[in-house]
Amino acid sequence: MAANIYIGEILENVEIQEDCFLMKIKTAPSFQNPLPGQFIMIRISGLNDPFLSRPISIYAFSRNEDYSTIELLYRAVGKGTQIMAGLIEGSMVEINGPLGNGFDTKSVKENIVIISGGIGIAPLSMLTETLQKTHPASNMIIYKGFQSASAVVGLKKLQKLCRNISVCTDDGTMGEKGFVTGIFQKDMKKFPQDNTSIYACGPRPMLRSLANILNRTKFCCQVSLEERMACGVGACMGCAVAVKDKNGALAHRRVCADGPVFNLQDIIWE
Amino acid sequence: MKTMKTKTSPKMAVNLGPLKLNNPVMTASGTFGYGEEYAGYLDLSRLGAVVVKGLSLKPRLGNPPPRIMETSGGMLNSIGLQNIGVDAFIEEKLPFLRKYNTAVVANIYGETYDEFKQVAKKLSSAKGVHALEVNISCPNVKKGGVSFGADPKVAAIVTRTVKDETGLPVIVKLTPNVTDVAAVAVAVEKAGADIISLINTLTGMSVDLKTRRPHLKNITGGLSGPAIKPVALRMVWQVLQKVSIPVIGIGGIMTAEDALEFLILGAKAVQIGTANFINPCATLDIIEGIKIYLADNGIKDINEIIGTFRP
Repeated sequence: MAANIYIGEILENVEIQEDCFLMKIKTAPSFQNPLPGQFIMIRISGLNDPFLSRPISIYAFSRNEDYSTIELLYRAVGKGTQIMAGLIEGSMVEINGPLGNGFDTKSVKENIVIISGGIGIAPLSMLTETLQKTHPASNMIIYKGFQSASAVVGLKKLQKLCRNISVCTDDGTMGEKGFVTGIFQKDMKKFPQDNTSIYACGPRPMLRSLANILNRTKFCCQVSLEERMACGVGACMGCAVAVKDKNGALAHRRVCADGPVFNLQDIIWE
Repeated sequence: MKTMKTKTSPKMAVNLGPLKLNNPVMTASGTFGYGEEYAGYLDLSRLGAVVVKGLSLKPRLGNPPPRIMETSGGMLNSIGLQNIGVDAFIEEKLPFLRKYNTAVVANIYGETYDEFKQVAKKLSSAKGVHALEVNISCPNVKKGGVSFGADPKVAAIVTRTVKDETGLPVIVKLTPNVTDVAAVAVAVEKAGADIISLINTLTGMSVDLKTRRPHLKNITGGLSGPAIKPVALRMVWQVLQKVSIPVIGIGGIMTAEDALEFLILGAKAVQIGTANFINPCATLDIIEGIKIYLADNGIKDINEIIGTFRP
């Protein structure tokens, strides 16, 4: 097997919320330490339908002498993830990773704001773990938005890592009622623009709304994007996203190889 | 397949007229980047050839996203030939590829005859390019592309234009989106093509039930993957009956068995495309699988099996 390609054995694959699954994959100890925000391509069947591998961001990672464990938190929303959801303990999967560029966790400001929408919590959870280790003195606040109480995932784990978590739901069944971007906006004045790092992941409309809110502010915001992918390694150009290049001109960047993490201000929304 | 112990590994080298390859397995343009994207997964020197992403005179932005959609047994793409341009390729990508003992084939694209000419000229004086593959078959661009490949007369002019500009072997890549692929093949052969490769992708569509909009921003895209292999085999067969220059088979090859089907028909080489996406080592697996097949059948040289089809 070539570098980066591993066979994994499913240790656990449980539905922790409606349509939301936690999969634990055991693989070789040589699997590289992933950065928060990186992803794997998971080949879910040897068949031709579904044909492509699925890009799933890494939720957690651990290793011991004998093996590594990759955790994926995913929603079964399409054909591929639904088949993933049906995989039982002991099933083997082929994985390629870790892929892409993770969040920049080096140049971190004193205040850290993490904004997640729905299953976008997956890469941000790993980011939170990392930042708590690398920047324990920072003031961290997490804004977590979900459609409703029945969709809330990954909260318990984060509560152990961060004392300051604001949960909201679209229908008000848990926490404040409203979109997570709106809840953040109400608090925005509290954060010094030049001394705050913002990290976000969630559905496209949420990130777009965040872009509008942060427009004309000096906040630095990194976002992790999702796009349909074929290769995952930068070859096919299928997962392009429209961005502004250095000179402000339109360019297409690959979510897999140039991302999935981008500066929010570089993204061009239609 | 069962492995049989043989004292010598079968000979895999093939000659495609002026282009000599270490083995018949090439990568297909647009599916292997500029080679470097896959260099961490496999030793490029083990490939018959690396065919790079289509190069144009100036960098191209490509089509707006979303650009791909999975289909049963394949995928649609409408990348629109996003590439860094021929100058940046020569400057930034070619030096890396020169380190490998594999043929480098530059796939070229132009919106006009003159652009084809200029791209061909630049690559012909660059060190480390072994052949040009003329793309007159991209279904995803508004100018050039398939419009050059659908008309035998225009295809012939593009071929002649490139031939006049280069001393390198010229491969012409044909589109399946025509009524009579053999007519285009005959025209480009007469115009001086050294080799023909086919097929490019089949034009297709996919509709999102939630939004009732196309899955691809470009509306239509090119279908690739195992779903198209029978069409590719049929077209390769039709072309082989009408031309005498070497033919490269492309279309839905996932395994050594798939590749052997094309070789048995008479293709001198094959290109592996979409398979790379789901298995970065697909090309190597196919090379090894062909060797095993040959050994199992007591065949000492790949050339003994090429063109042995019995209709």
